[in-house]
Amino acid sequence: MKFKHLLFVISAASLAPEAYSQAEGSGGSSGSDTGTIEAVTITAIGTTKNVRKIGYAVSQVQGKGIVSSGESGVIQALSGKASNVQITRSTGDPGSGAYIQIRGQNTITGSNQPLIVVDGIPVSNSSFGGGVDGVVQQSRLNDLNPSDIESVEVLKGAAAAAVWGTRAANGVIVVTTKKGKRGMNIEFSSTYAIDQVNREYEKQSTFGQGSGGRWVANNANSFGDRIALRNGTDSINPNGARFVADDGTVYGTIVRKGDKNVYNDANRDQVFRNGITWNNNLSISAGGEKSNMFFSLSDWNQQGIMKGLSDYRRTTARLNFTQNVNDKLSVGLNANMAKITSNRVQMGSNLDGLYLGYLRTSPDFDNTDYKGTYYTAAGIPSFNAHRGYRRYLGNGAPTYNNPGWTLNEQTNTSDVTRFIVTPEVNYKWRENMKMIARLGHDFSTDRRITYFPVNSAGSQANGSFADDNIQESETSLHFINQGTHKLSSSINLNSTVGYLYTYKNIYNIGGSASQFIIRDQDRFAFINSTTENKDPFNSYTELLNNRIYGVLDFDVKDKLFLQLTGASEASSTYASRFFSPSVSLAYELTKDLKPSDLLSYAKLRISSGRVGVAPPAYIWNTNYVAAGSSSGWGDYLDGSLYGGSIYRSSTQGNPDIKPEMKTETELGADLKLFKNKVSLGVTYYQNKIEGAVLAIAVANSTGYSNQWKNAADISNKGLELDLNVSLIKSENFNLNLYGNFGSNRNTVDNLSGAAPIFLAGFTGTSSRAVEGKPMGSLWGGKWARDESGKMILDANGFPTAASEEGVIGDPNPNWRAGMGLNGNYKNLNFNLLFETCQGNDMWAGTYGVLNNFGITPETANEFTVSAADAATIVDYRGVSLATAAAAGANGLATLNTDGSVTARGNLVNYGAGNVWLNQYWYTSTGGGFGSVAEQFIKDASWTRIRELSLSYALPKAWSDALHIPGGITVGFTGRNLALWTKFDGLDPETNLTGVSNGRGLDYFNNPGTKSYLFNVKFNL
Amino acid sequence: MKKITYILSLGLALVVGFSSCKKDIKEINKINPGQFSDSDPTLMITGAQLANVLVNEGEAARLAGIFSGHHTGYDRQFVSYGDYVMTAGDFNTPWGNLYTEGIAQCRLVRGKAQKANNKSLNAVACITEANLLLTASALWGDVPNTEACVEGNSNPKFDKMSDVHKAAIVLLDSAIAYGANNASYSGAYVGNHNWAQVANTLKARAYLRMGEYAKAAAAAANGVAAGKDLLANHSQATPGAWNLYYDFLDWNRAGYISASGSHMEKLLDSSTIFRNNAKTDESARFAYYFIEEVYTPLDPNWDNGIFAATNNFPIVSYLENQLILAECAIRTGDLNTALTHLNNVRADNAASTGGQYDAYVAGDFGPGQLVPGATANDAMTKEILVEKYASLYGQIEPWCDVRRTKNLIGVVPNTGTKLPQRFLVPQDEINANKNAPAAGSLFDALELWPQ
Repeated sequence: MKFKHLLFVISAASLAPEAYSQAEGSGGSSGSDTGTIEAVTITAIGTTKNVRKIGYAVSQVQGKGIVSSGESGVIQALSGKASNVQITRSTGDPGSGAYIQIRGQNTITGSNQPLIVVDGIPVSNSSFGGGVDGVVQQSRLNDLNPSDIESVEVLKGAAAAAVWGTRAANGVIVVTTKKGKRGMNIEFSSTYAIDQVNREYEKQSTFGQGSGGRWVANNANSFGDRIALRNGTDSINPNGARFVADDGTVYGTIVRKGDKNVYNDANRDQVFRNGITWNNNLSISAGGEKSNMFFSLSDWNQQGIMKGLSDYRRTTARLNFTQNVNDKLSVGLNANMAKITSNRVQMGSNLDGLYLGYLRTSPDFDNTDYKGTYYTAAGIPSFNAHRGYRRYLGNGAPTYNNPGWTLNEQTNTSDVTRFIVTPEVNYKWRENMKMIARLGHDFSTDRRITYFPVNSAGSQANGSFADDNIQESETSLHFINQGTHKLSSSINLNSTVGYLYTYKNIYNIGGSASQFIIRDQDRFAFINSTTENKDPFNSYTELLNNRIYGVLDFDVKDKLFLQLTGASEASSTYASRFFSPSVSLAYELTKDLKPSDLLSYAKLRISSGRVGVAPPAYIWNTNYVAAGSSSGWGDYLDGSLYGGSIYRSSTQGNPDIKPEMKTETELGADLKLFKNKVSLGVTYYQNKIEGAVLAIAVANSTGYSNQWKNAADISNKGLELDLNVSLIKSENFNLNLYGNFGSNRNTVDNLSGAAPIFLAGFTGTSSRAVEGKPMGSLWGGKWARDESGKMILDANGFPTAASEEGVIGDPNPNWRAGMGLNGNYKNLNFNLLFETCQGNDMWAGTYGVLNNFGITPETANEFTVSAADAATIVDYRGVSLATAAAAGANGLATLNTDGSVTARGNLVNYGAGNVWLNQYWYTSTGGGFGSVAEQFIKDASWTRIRELSLSYALPKAWSDALHIPGGITVGFTGRNLALWTKFDGLDPETNLTGVSNGRGLDYFNNPGTKSYLFNVKFNL
Repeated sequence: MKKITYILSLGLALVVGFSSCKKDIKEINKINPGQFSDSDPTLMITGAQLANVLVNEGEAARLAGIFSGHHTGYDRQFVSYGDYVMTAGDFNTPWGNLYTEGIAQCRLVRGKAQKANNKSLNAVACITEANLLLTASALWGDVPNTEACVEGNSNPKFDKMSDVHKAAIVLLDSAIAYGANNASYSGAYVGNHNWAQVANTLKARAYLRMGEYAKAAAAAANGVAAGKDLLANHSQATPGAWNLYYDFLDWNRAGYISASGSHMEKLLDSSTIFRNNAKTDESARFAYYFIEEVYTPLDPNWDNGIFAATNNFPIVSYLENQLILAECAIRTGDLNTALTHLNNVRADNAASTGGQYDAYVAGDFGPGQLVPGATANDAMTKEILVEKYASLYGQIEPWCDVRRTKNLIGVVPNTGTKLPQRFLVPQDEINANKNAPAAGSLFDALELWPQ
């Protein structure tokens, strides 16, 4: 089957180079010869099908478009190129995972990530990790080399994917890798890329470290004195304790702060750099009468934008080979191996995280020297001392890491080896029958080291180390029999019967150790801890699944196309078989209605299908688990330290658990207008997910806290548009406008009365499933309001916190769209893509907490009021401006000679006259640690230039002169070159909890990037 | 060509056969290889005991301590807790610990011990369950008992506080009847105790709370002897095993809780209610209980005192038993018996924390005496309750005494004029249990202790 793919390559070459949906796929968009070269698409099981004949929506992205995007991962490269396919990067860490959402969220506890099928077999796209702290992990889908990819089809709806049953509820992404082409082509390409941080927080530079308007050493806040009013130099106690940095710089005990320098820029430069990537690719394609092969080697070597141990290196090799043994039998093998090594940077709600320490650092503190030796006043040294703004002499671990320590002393490596091998046999056993047998094996190991040296902040102060090994393997066996049958002169039938067996296992083993006994040598060795400080762990998950399916494709008079599918599936995670039927119908209107210049082609389609989400493994029974009790504040008792105790889990199993069932109907039309110049695809869909599985909260007095149940219903509906307009078409100049639009409305219809379900986040602010609200709704504290909605104010005129929490935002966008121009002028090819995402909220947790610390410029505003006002306007404590000014702390308020008062902060009227927002407000209810999260829910809509790419094929005379017969192409790609958003300080395309179902959270996330890529390609 | 077909078919059949026979699809997810399907009751009991320790020493004890004036809230959420501003959600965790990790496991252990005819284990499970029920009922008043932890009942009804106390006494009587005259099955504890004595002191605690002094005294007569305290074992200096107060006060939540401004501080330091007199010098106890100017002006002593990392924590103690005996005696007018028990406690103080605690004589009590009061008996009653309040620092029972005696010792509320009387019904329980009452107010008096 797959060598037929060649056909596809020919047809696709004439299409818009970046992306197309089926709208322009029909008959080729060249506008001439409709029907002579038929565009095909790849179906869910990896076979080809004529685009004209499908009755459901599919979006396709070409390999070329994936490569030119300059993304290291295939998924990230799809951004903006297909309607209703939402891609959210976790952060800008090199190689970090991305969250894919097709037509909204479908499950609460399961994965919302689509199934990935590469060359006809399912592969892992798992992403382990993703809490509110730690490091951002990669997604296993990043392991594929984008240059190896011929095309990606996104099957969004239930009907398109029904043969995948309980794996298909989130859509299917079908990846097809390149095949050898006739003749020989050797291609070498090299790319040099520069990444930069694309958005940063602004920090105030007026007020120093401290509290109450005075400088205080080691204070968390920057509510200190006015830096400009200092005398110029610190006065140091010559007999005091001191810190001697590794480079010899001495920091003494400060008696009085005098230094007037502001170190924001120096501290910023300690953290960021230009990230550099080298990406080299070699591919050889060859083919003859009997065989073809595609071979590639690639090396992606990237240094992140964070100046330290932040990098990602992926080396891959691929061989795709097909041999026709005779006219009936062919065998093939696709083999891919990848080796990925990476250094990650700690982030999030994490005293050892980068942004937490960096952004909280006071403007008057210089982070440059972070490591050295601490000497007491008596001269007794402590080595490997760690200096940070919360402990400037390095006497013990600082409360927060110095960013230099985070970036250079801590280790967070990941070392991945992956193989995907797919042997395949095709046998045409009758004139109209062929059989495909395909075996797939996807195997990966990931070894992760996490190491905090002694003197890292927080609970890592005595050192800690973890060695975590994850091994995943999935074996699939897939038989397909395809037949063509002529039922009558006008009705043709294609039949497909398939059997698919998959066995997956995930093995995780590792251990952690803390409280090092040798404190000054970095070793990843468990012998460096005593027995009670070592903690080994393992887990093992197996999943088995088999599926029989059938597909009947009726073709009536080449204008009416009916597809019926049915799949019956058994799985180890639920008891009874699951049946997924689907039906789709396409009607080519223009076969009956004579095509005109206005309407060249029209197809109407309708489809409906049922798919599912398999419940999690091992929830049939109530387990007996390691005993332990914790209070919720970190203090706990661990049964393993008390001679061992195994008792009944508080989560009750359920042997009657069933798969979550998703039923979806979609309606659509594909049109070509104005002599094929304009192609337009429109799709409306709605779906309902019934029986979503979750561990529903039960009354604890029952002896259980949760019980697994099919307890929730969710629904989605939405609209998708795909457009392509050929603006100019001539021999030397072609210009296309392309675009897509997608909107989705998601609602959690029913939670069986359960309280809102926590998906990710914090006690104060979280992303939850709430009955009647969209999935992932942001949840937290609100302002207290009366019945008319007016804020309830305290005696001083400040707003107060409501006693109950509630929904405070929706992280789901109202709509997303991509719009671009592409084409060529002679040898110059170009593509420009804008993408926008509108109406999504995000919790600006970082901003809120930076208010608390007095870092944001908002908190460093200054204003002057008259003496009369100064006497009456009060702060959160009820202290008036006049009283505060009289106290004489110059960073809080100062009395001017005319009796007026100049103060730090803001004057705001909440309804009872002006009040003074200052430290006492921002460090309580008005800041990020206060209980009112509502005030930090921000509109995170954005518009960006996702991609600008130019490539130029050098004149043949030049390449011939260099003995490069196939030509030389040079190119430039800019990624994320411009970003328009109201969200402060960070590219809002991010998520703290990575690829989890909880969305819309920002809390000291590592920042996003923009990139400039320079590429040269030689064809030999 | 046929040959190829055959060979191919055969090969495929073998592969399919091999791969699909390897695993039985119906079986592989039935049992989680990383977890167990059942456990041994002698292992389970330790987990239930740890839940009991967590409740009596952890968050519930800290909050009870804030409500009784042992502690003050100093930072973050504990500032508002200290102001008695709390929501129903703040009580979810201790409630969950009590039922899912404690009572549910105890009942499973009792069933398994019954089957194995292991009376000794059954007794320990009964005592642990009774301890948990008594704590639950002291904190929340009416709580589920008869319908709690019953398979299939998803809406357990709330039993009256008095009935829960009676049920706990029945459990303790069965434990005593099983003859648990040893310290077996004490995974969470140090192991010097005697379970029968522990059961008797718990019974005395229950009767005292119900105001049945004679029965309380009778039980306490066989209660915990000197050196036989039921102590939570914190001898390992590691998170997960060390003292929970230490963990909170230093390791995880430094500065959230203080002793600064607390009633306890005032008792032991120079103030209008200062306890020093000619026979008493509290300075050693002050130093054992508090340290100054670390995270707060006055921290509960997590460094080298009562809440140090490896200090074991009393769950049921000799001091409590003696002071129950003392109170029961004075309630029936027997000053001399009360004096004996009070002096036992004072002697113990002198031995454990140092300081001066000379034995009192009967003449020391009364108007104008060392321990003043309207009458000698009044002075003695108050002295016993103040001594209990001070001796059981960090434990829940002093808050029970304050409520039971209508604040006889005169603890001054942190804010306003009223002391909290109860925990709020947890939000999780309200959400899921149709029989749960409303969350209520912190100031609603409990059935046994009207104000």
